[in-house]
Amino acid sequence: MASIGISASIQRACSSQHVTKKVSGNARTKVAGLKLPKEQEHEQPSLTFVNNSSSSSSDQHSQPRFHDARWKNGTWDLNMFVKEGRMDWESVIVAEARRRKFLEVYPQASTNEEPVLFRSSVIPWWAWIRHSHLPEAELLNGRAAMVGFFMAYGVDGLTGLDVVGQTGNVICKAALLLTVVGVLLFRRKEDIGNIKKLADEATYYDKQWQATWQTPKDSEQ
Amino acid sequence: MAASIALKTFVGLRHSSQETNSAITLSNPAASPYRRRTQFRISASKSSPRVTGRNLRVAVIGGGPAGGCAAETLAKGGIETFLIERKMDNCKPCGGAIPLCMVGEFDLPLDIIDRRVTKMKMISPSNVAVDIGRTLKPHEYIGMVRREVLDAYLRDRAATAGATVINGLFLKMDLPQSKTAPYVLHYTDYNSKTGGSGEKKTLEVDAIIGADGANSRVAKGINAGDYEYAIAFQERIKIPNEKMKYYEDLAEMYVGDDVSPDFYGWVFPKCDHVAVGTGTVTHKGDIKKLQVATRLRARDKIQGGKIIRVEAHPIPEHPRPRRVLDRVALVGDAAGYVTKCSGEGIYFAAKSGRMCAEAIVEGSENGKRTVDESDLRVYLEKWDKTYWPTYKVLDILQKVFYRSNPAREAFVEMCADEYVQKMTFDSYLYKRVVPGNPLDDLKLAFNTIGSLVRANALTREMEKLNL
Repeated sequence: MASIGISASIQRACSSQHVTKKVSGNARTKVAGLKLPKEQEHEQPSLTFVNNSSSSSSDQHSQPRFHDARWKNGTWDLNMFVKEGRMDWESVIVAEARRRKFLEVYPQASTNEEPVLFRSSVIPWWAWIRHSHLPEAELLNGRAAMVGFFMAYGVDGLTGLDVVGQTGNVICKAALLLTVVGVLLFRRKEDIGNIKKLADEATYYDKQWQATWQTPKDSEQ
Repeated sequence: MAASIALKTFVGLRHSSQETNSAITLSNPAASPYRRRTQFRISASKSSPRVTGRNLRVAVIGGGPAGGCAAETLAKGGIETFLIERKMDNCKPCGGAIPLCMVGEFDLPLDIIDRRVTKMKMISPSNVAVDIGRTLKPHEYIGMVRREVLDAYLRDRAATAGATVINGLFLKMDLPQSKTAPYVLHYTDYNSKTGGSGEKKTLEVDAIIGADGANSRVAKGINAGDYEYAIAFQERIKIPNEKMKYYEDLAEMYVGDDVSPDFYGWVFPKCDHVAVGTGTVTHKGDIKKLQVATRLRARDKIQGGKIIRVEAHPIPEHPRPRRVLDRVALVGDAAGYVTKCSGEGIYFAAKSGRMCAEAIVEGSENGKRTVDESDLRVYLEKWDKTYWPTYKVLDILQKVFYRSNPAREAFVEMCADEYVQKMTFDSYLYKRVVPGNPLDDLKLAFNTIGSLVRANALTREMEKLNL
C-alpha cells in the first residue's frame, strides 16, 4: 500500500526542528579537504572554492561556491573575453559550461540578492556552429570519405564497375542514400536503441489511455 | 545548425523494465485486436427496466472533490445518493492549487481561497530564474486552498442537495450476480452510537462511483489494474514574516537533477506558511535526498523556518487500465486523472465526478431507470474526448523538457518568452487551448529548438570538462 501518511508522529518529532542550513554536514565536509588551486588573482580563469561563511548560520557548513573572475553580478562580463581585439565566444561557451558543471556537482541556493542574469542566447548562432557542430561534422565527413574510398575499391574489385559506372548504377545510388541517412540518424552505437525506445515512449501514454477501451466487454471478476 | 541532440531516453531512466510493466497493466494488447470505441456504443438505457417504487440508489465512495461534486450532481438529479467518507476533517496532503475556471464552474465562494498566486518563478538547474505572470490580467490568479476547507464545503453542499453523508470506512463490495441485482457494500460506520471503533454495516446500491483516491479500494474491487505513480513529498515550513512577504502571491518551481530526476521541486505559499516539496516517479528511494536538495536551493528564502508538518502521498501518472466495470465507475485520483508535467488533480477530480454523475442522471432519466455499463461509458467517452488533448500535450511537455538538465535549462529559457507565458496560463486557467497566431507558433517552435540545441551543446561541453 503506497499510502504514506506520515502526519502525527513526525509532526511531533519535527515540531522542534529548526531549519537553518539545509545540507547535512557529513555529505559535504569532505569538500573542505579537497586540495584545489587557489589562484584567485590571476587573469587566467580558474575555479576556486570559497567556503561559505554565511554569518547567519550556526552549523558548520562548507558548501563550495562558484567563483570566477569573469562572473560578475550574475552574468559573464563579456569584456573580459576579448582576445587580440576580437570577441572570443568559444571561451564564453566553455566558461558557461564550467559554471553549469559546477552547479550540477555542487548545487547552490538560488538567491534574490544575486540572481543569475546570463542567458545563453546572447552567444551568436555562428559561434555555436563553429564550436559544437563543425568538429563533429569534420569527424563524420572524414570517416565517410574513408569508408567511401574503400567501398568504391571493393565494389570495383567485385563487380568491375569503376567509379564512373558506380555513380550511374541504381543499386549503388540507393545504397549511398541509405548510408547517408543512416549516418545522420545513427551516429553512435546507442542511437539505435535510443530511437527504438523513443518510438515506444511516444506511444506508451496513448496506450495507457486506450486501455480502458480495449478490455472485452463481458465482465471478468 | 544540426548539432546532434543526444536524447537521453525517459524510458531508460526507470528502474523496472518497461516491458514487464506494460504486460501487467495492459491486458495482452498484442493478443486482442485494437478495438474501436464504436463497438461499445449500445444505448441500453432506454430499454433498461424501470426501477419500481423507489429512485435509483448510487453510492459515492470517498468525499474529496471528486466525491463531493459527484454526490451533489446525483442528488440534484433526483437520485438517492450515499456519500461515504472515512475522515471528515482529513487534511489531505496536496499542493492545493486550483485554476480560475474552477471557481466559476463549481460556484466556489471566494473565501475558500486562502491566497491568490499571480506570479511564478521558474528556477533552472544553474539557477537562472525566470518570472512568469506578466501576462496575467488583474482578475486572473491561481487559487491556493486548504483541502480540508474545500472538501468540507463540497460535501456540505452535497448534503444540502439531498445526499446522505455517511462517516464510514468502505471495506469491500459484493458484485451482483445479475444485471438488476444490487451491489452490497460493506463498511464500518463511525456515526453510530457504539463509539470509537465503529459498527460494521452493509448497504445495497444499484451503482457505485469510486472517488476514494490513489489507493482506491473500489478500484481493487473491480480489478481495475495498477498504475505507475509518483511520490510527492512535502514539508510545511513556517517562515518568519518578512520572508513570508516574498511569497505573498508568488510560487516557485525548481527544476534540476538534484531536485528531482523527472519532476520538479516547489515552494508553494499556503495560508500562513509555505510548503516545500518535491516528487519523483523513478527514484522513490531517494526522495529524502531530493527534499534536502530542494531546501538547499531555496535556502536563503526559507531561512529561519520551522518544519511544522511532513507529509507524502502518491500521485497517479496515468489512468488505470480499467475505469468502468458494469455499474461501477472510477473518477478523480482513483481513475488516475492527474496531468503530467504539472501534477494537477483537483480540478480534474471534481470535473470527472460531475461528468460521471451527469452521465448516470441522464442514463437513468433522473433515477427512474436502472443504469448499465454503456451509460457509464458515455462519461468515459466524453471525458476522453474533452481532455485527451490536454493530457497528451502535458505528457509531451514532460517527456521533452523534464528528461535532462539541458532540457530543463531550455525549458526555463523558453518560459521567459511572453507568448509562451500567455499560452501556458490560458490553457491552465481556463482549460482550453486557444490556437494562437501561426506566425508566433512558428517563432516559438524555432526558439524552442534553438534553446534545446544550445543547452545540449553546453552539456556536451560539460561532459568534456572534469571538475
